[in-house]
Amino acid sequence: MGTTRRGFLQAGVATILGKPAMVAAQSSQPSRTRTLRAVMQGDLRSFDPIWTSASITSYHGAMIYDTLFGVNEDMKPQPQMVGKYGVSDDKLTWTFELRDGLRFSDGTDVTAADCVASMRRWAVRDGFGQHMFARVTDTAVKDAKTFTVVLREPYPLILDAFGKAGGPLLYIMRKKEAETDPMQQITAYVGSGPFVFNMQETKQGASYVYDRNQNYKPRSEPASAMAGGKMAKLDRIIWDNVADDQTAVAALQNGEIDFFELPPIDLVDQLEADKNIRVEVLNSTGQTIWARLNSLYPPFDNVKARQALLYLINQQDVLRAAIGNEKYYRTCGSYFGCGVPMENDENTQWFKEAPNKAKAKQLFQEAGYDGRPVIILQPTNFAVFNTAMQLLAQWLREIGVNAQLASSDWGSVISRRAVKEPPEKGGWHVFPAAILSEAASNLMGFVGHAATGANAWFGWPNNERHEQLRDKWAKSEPEGRLAIAKEIQKNAWDFVPHVYMGQYTRPSAWRANVRGVLHMRELMIPFWNIEKT
Amino acid sequence: MIAYVLRRIASLVVVMALVAMAVFLLLRLAPGDPTAIIAGDNATPVQIASVRARLGLDDPLPQQFYRWATALLSGDLGVSIFSNTPVAELIGQRIEPTLSLAFATLLFAVPVAVLLGILAAWSAGGVADRLAMAISVAGFSLPGFVVGYFLVYVFAIRLKWLPVQGYTPISQDVASWASHLILPALTLGLAFIALIARMTRTALLDVLAEDYIRTANAKGVSTLSLLLKHALRNAGVPIVTILGIGAAMLIGGVVVTETVFNIPGIGRLVVDAILKRDYPIIQGVILVASGVYVVINLLVDLSYTLIDPRIRS
Repeated sequence: MGTTRRGFLQAGVATILGKPAMVAAQSSQPSRTRTLRAVMQGDLRSFDPIWTSASITSYHGAMIYDTLFGVNEDMKPQPQMVGKYGVSDDKLTWTFELRDGLRFSDGTDVTAADCVASMRRWAVRDGFGQHMFARVTDTAVKDAKTFTVVLREPYPLILDAFGKAGGPLLYIMRKKEAETDPMQQITAYVGSGPFVFNMQETKQGASYVYDRNQNYKPRSEPASAMAGGKMAKLDRIIWDNVADDQTAVAALQNGEIDFFELPPIDLVDQLEADKNIRVEVLNSTGQTIWARLNSLYPPFDNVKARQALLYLINQQDVLRAAIGNEKYYRTCGSYFGCGVPMENDENTQWFKEAPNKAKAKQLFQEAGYDGRPVIILQPTNFAVFNTAMQLLAQWLREIGVNAQLASSDWGSVISRRAVKEPPEKGGWHVFPAAILSEAASNLMGFVGHAATGANAWFGWPNNERHEQLRDKWAKSEPEGRLAIAKEIQKNAWDFVPHVYMGQYTRPSAWRANVRGVLHMRELMIPFWNIEKT
Repeated sequence: MIAYVLRRIASLVVVMALVAMAVFLLLRLAPGDPTAIIAGDNATPVQIASVRARLGLDDPLPQQFYRWATALLSGDLGVSIFSNTPVAELIGQRIEPTLSLAFATLLFAVPVAVLLGILAAWSAGGVADRLAMAISVAGFSLPGFVVGYFLVYVFAIRLKWLPVQGYTPISQDVASWASHLILPALTLGLAFIALIARMTRTALLDVLAEDYIRTANAKGVSTLSLLLKHALRNAGVPIVTILGIGAAMLIGGVVVTETVFNIPGIGRLVVDAILKRDYPIIQGVILVASGVYVVINLLVDLSYTLIDPRIRS
């Protein structure tokens, strides 16, 4: 019997009806409602959050690794992977026991040996870790779940170090990855965290895929910043590397992406007017613009020249030019930043007077300024720094300083700021930085606070009293730290290792159907707890 | 002919070698290197020096070049300093979007441009000619990102006909692949139409003034046959030349369009690598791109012989 027209049509309909079932069976991708697409602050170039301190790699680390402790939204460290912990009466031996049921994404148990190896690797690269480990005499594995840290002197900041939320964080990796030379990158990414890095679906430079980790056991408490229960409520998170801000804004408005970490400030109004989009500042203390000074060479080897800049800089003008929207900036005279626990107003008379160009000029003269060029590194591909350095150069010229801008990209600035040669031989006098206000408020959390001369951060300030006070701060109990912070600030604004040009925040934006985005006073975006309605 | 082709292939090797040396030297002589970026803010001078030594960046330049060149000769383009991924793999991932965009752009731009050029030449001095040249001037004058943003605003945001950004591999979904290429191809295509239309018009105007065209016209040859069979073929050499240059530029990567439409192509790969001083990627991509340019030039030269039999001899 030949094919009839009816038979042919029936076969065709059956084929069409049968097709969706076949497609569903073949599809292994989570649905759009169970997937969140996000545009983050930059491209994820490295996958090792210990090898690099790049913020985006820290975010990546938080996706796939867990930490021994995590800070809550008040920036207080809470046990995370640790179940029980304690310290000996002499405060020299800390004992940590892991929670039950912790597993890596490959199904293997997380053990104390993994934790000790991860800790040792982290301590080589991290400033806080270096500071702590200078006081550690031993780390020992007691059993599968228990390890100790033995100190030569009490170190009350140990939990802050373990729970720090600024990169590099103490992410717990498998022992075999953690035993990689800290100056080389790991090559496997088996994590202890709420998501699994899907290397197969990831396309470097384009999109990075994270799937929910079925082996992860969250804590039972509600999520709070990096602490509490890290419940992955979505099946897949994709980070799209969209280089153009306007394109990312359009994609967010069109629903092609769900979350945009840092929309440009001048486009925020457009997003706020869209009822399908929410705009909020997640990190309420934001960042502070630093102008770091080279203390090795004239004129800034003279304290009066450094003090001159305190009176020269008009933070309001910098912020108005660089940020624009006053909802997102504030001026601040505290060495520790504003809105943070260590904020105080010791020795801030300069802040009340600035700008005072006459005083700045006088101080430069007292410093014996001889008219030599003052080299200011100007990264033109960072709008905030580009603007700030241009303003600084102009103000210096107005008081008779021969300020010269050395324009380049940020990569060149990073390379040149490490040069200790005289400025006229490839060195520098001033370079910009944006330091997280929470990091600035933690004297051990950021390496830029050290004033140890040749071993300090770029700029190499040297001040013995500052180091004594830092040490005192590190050894003090939490309730005593503010008083020491005031002494530190009083001294810091006398010897002036760097100057501040203003504090600012940046809002994030997401689709209105995205819920559960966690606020955090650090440069970190937790993707657990987030869901789509 | 075979001897000619062999000579050109030999010259390709020489050109690639010169490009390799030039790129290597320029990178090493430019300020900055990846060491400080890799070592991180907390690195001590000893650690920075250790990173530099591990990357071989403190070796003498001839030694560094020898190391890279010998690896290259065995087909090894090196490994990204930052992501530890083989450069060949990264280029392989990025070449499909770039080729897709190039294909889509040429598919759209070439027929439109050639027709526009023919129309302009045929009605030289008339309304159609002025309109065609106005379009051409607009194509040259308007920056690519302005055109791109405009198209996104109209077709993606207002009309919601097409996506704003992104790229879908053809193996994943043909319809999505095509829809993601329409707007970027239109954006790039405008500039190409401008270039090719003008060249077509100019070349045709020269040919249309020839005696044999007047003879064909007098013999009653149809307009279409006259333009396409007699005139266009004789004007083909400069047109094919500019097409070849354009195709090579597209394959080399068009950064602005890739950035505006978030297409993960070769252009963005190399710009990102330049900003972070990822030497192996920069060297690898420039080498591959220069190879593409040379091969396309060779193909263009060979195509002359198909268009104009006089060149064949």
